[in-house]
Amino acid sequence: MRTRSAQGNRGVPSKQRKIVRRSLQLAAIVLVFVATAGSAFSQQLATPQGSQSTSIPHVKCVIGLENIKANAKGTLSLLPNGLEFATGKNKVDISTASMQDIFTGQESRQDVSGPAGTVAKAGIPYGGGRIVSLFSHNVEVLTVEYVDSNGGFHGTIFVLSPGKATVLKNQLVAQGAKVTNHVQPPAQEQKP
Amino acid sequence: MKLLARAVFLSNFSVVPSAVLLMVASLLAQPSLLGKPGPAPQQTPKLTASAIQLERSDPPEDLLIPEDTRVATYENVILQLTKTKKFQHVYRSGDRTAASVPDLVVLRLIPEAFKAGSQKQREVTTVTGATSIKVKIQFTSKDGKVLREKTVEGKVRFYGENLRATYDLAKKVAAVVNETF
Repeated sequence: MRTRSAQGNRGVPSKQRKIVRRSLQLAAIVLVFVATAGSAFSQQLATPQGSQSTSIPHVKCVIGLENIKANAKGTLSLLPNGLEFATGKNKVDISTASMQDIFTGQESRQDVSGPAGTVAKAGIPYGGGRIVSLFSHNVEVLTVEYVDSNGGFHGTIFVLSPGKATVLKNQLVAQGAKVTNHVQPPAQEQKP
Repeated sequence: MKLLARAVFLSNFSVVPSAVLLMVASLLAQPSLLGKPGPAPQQTPKLTASAIQLERSDPPEDLLIPEDTRVATYENVILQLTKTKKFQHVYRSGDRTAASVPDLVVLRLIPEAFKAGSQKQREVTTVTGATSIKVKIQFTSKDGKVLREKTVEGKVRFYGENLRATYDLAKKVAAVVNETF
């Protein structure tokens, strides 16, 4: 009797385990599916095919826009007549007609950077911070040169994820922005 | 024996103050080291101007500088010139309204050298991968007469992105402006 009841007790948990395992697998599949679909959907929202307005979030404006702090992050949008960079508080437009030249370039940035990152790297014992410094990611830099209403020269630098600067540049050129032929510096190690 | 040990001990103590006294005396003998200037350096008269215009200068043909570096240099110098508060107005290159200012001074940054480094290399090795940009600063009057010239170099040696060299350069340009105006 003891043996049977013991077998019966063993059987129930194994069934429960199977059910739990299957439900976990299902949940994982659903999670992966939702995440993939979500990212694809957001990409479609960010860059609608063939439309005139492209909006790229998480763009860093390194320097050059009035009323925008250096290294501010915001959304860079392509308008029918130029570019717009918007942070939480401020918004700056650059009209296509005022653009004098547009440059794109490939660079790389450290995965762990900034003052906090530097302190964290310095805190890793036995020179481990140097190993962390080996990790980097590619970015694309968009440099736009334009003039204000008085003819004063301005230049602004945006850092975007790879491939997006070239797309923006092509769209701006299609709008009529001026671009000259550039002599590129010789290819070198991707410089951060 | 005790007396002998005490004498040695005391003699050691007398050596230390005498050495210190000797060092102080030698320092006093060199007045320039204590901040007393020797012959007065030739003081160049300061310039005065109510406005300054920053002009862009193309680098020599054999010197290739990435456009983002040139733009960052220009914008950083504009910011630093404004911060000096030496001028009522800082005009950008090509600004038509600058033509009406009688005592306008034109500032040109003529690129002389550029070395593209690598942030990764800097952070991993700490001794290589520095980025540097060297420019000749030229202050001219409206009619093109050169008023003052100086060469400065901006660098990023250890931490920071390559464009930080342009910030360093701009700070040095501002220091030159402060000592010139």
